[in-house]
Amino acid sequence: MIKFHPTDTDLVGFVEGSLVPAKSLLISAHLDLCDECAEKATAFTENLALQAIKPSSRKNYLDSSLVNMCESIMELPAATQHINADGFVKQTLSVDGRDFILPEALSRFSNRIGEWSHLLGKLWQAPVEIGGGHLAQFIYMEKDGGVPEHTHKGSELTLVIDGKFADGNEEYDSGDFISLDSTHTHTPVAVGDEGCLVFSIIDQPLYFTTGWARLINPLSHLYFRANS
Amino acid sequence: MLIGIPLDKQRNDTCKPKECAAEMSAYLNTVAVKRCKLSFSKVFSYFAPRLRSYALKQMGNEALAMELVQDTMSNVWQKAHLFNAEKGSPSTWIFTIARNIRFDMLRKLQNRKEDVCSDDLWPILCEQTADTKTAPLDEQITLEQVGHYFEELPLKQKKVIEAIYIDGKSQQEVADELEIPLGTVKSRTRLALQRLKDMLREHD
Repeated sequence: MIKFHPTDTDLVGFVEGSLVPAKSLLISAHLDLCDECAEKATAFTENLALQAIKPSSRKNYLDSSLVNMCESIMELPAATQHINADGFVKQTLSVDGRDFILPEALSRFSNRIGEWSHLLGKLWQAPVEIGGGHLAQFIYMEKDGGVPEHTHKGSELTLVIDGKFADGNEEYDSGDFISLDSTHTHTPVAVGDEGCLVFSIIDQPLYFTTGWARLINPLSHLYFRANS
Repeated sequence: MLIGIPLDKQRNDTCKPKECAAEMSAYLNTVAVKRCKLSFSKVFSYFAPRLRSYALKQMGNEALAMELVQDTMSNVWQKAHLFNAEKGSPSTWIFTIARNIRFDMLRKLQNRKEDVCSDDLWPILCEQTADTKTAPLDEQITLEQVGHYFEELPLKQKKVIEAIYIDGKSQQEVADELEIPLGTVKSRTRLALQRLKDMLREHD
């Protein structure tokens, strides 16, 4: 049961395209898991579309520059690919002998996921190349495993992909969207019978990515040090 | 001039959203199925001026606003087959296309370093990711391999890729520099990336 959602303001910002990309990515992934927020986002989009493209607007006419534009556009060939837009395959991520199905938004990044590395104890981390000085990563806590107590210099956004974890303040379940900042101190630990996979983004400086890494895969691995 | 196609220049069309949606949906379908220019010009006449007002407010600059309108309406013309009336109205669909293009334009303008583009967030026009046959690229591809395949690209594509990915220039800058239309830069980039991906997959 999903208990933690983005705020309505965040959802409007997301559909408007005005939120920072990192937060937008997390919200996009949350919407893949949360029907309630997905419905809200659809409604917000329809409202924004009505405001942006006003049906009642009376001063709309085509001047010569628009007429020319229309003509030049119709010279363009149709897009040749006709692929069923619903045929998208969700990617899986393997860790701890299990295959986790990724939300669609994160599946699109599946070729930018680095190798799993063992951080400490029962904690694993795999970086995801998103650039922009953000540290994006999958974190896997084995059963009863967790992250040592820490706070955040900037913001930490987390989406629970599979499993449950508790952090001393709350208990989070699959699909929960968690937004924390420097005012929060917490100690996440996987709870329940299985481990817990989360995706998180922290806005602390990283190595800049090279052009080639953007082009293809994570060519450089990003290392994360747990603030123990 | 448009041959035999009257563009409704002075049409002050205000219609009720629902009727309008049905009318525009029908036109979009005709564009998708028959590449009907008359239908497209109807869609264009309704949406382009409205999009321009929106774009002017958003971009605060006539040239950028026109670029936004052009890119949006080009997508409508070329990808009308992706419109699905069951999923939403034509206004909503076209708005989301414009929103995506605006997002990517601002991303370039503000020189944001994130590798998160509009297709990642809202894959409304994303045909590549919808391709079920596309396997994820092998994660062990080395820089040398990429460099090697890069050398095999046609010269024109190589120039564009080099300028964008190595020199970090915007597509507009590349277009200005090479004195070619922005659309050409975009298509060369897309073709080159596709070609690189294909080569990487073949030699896997």
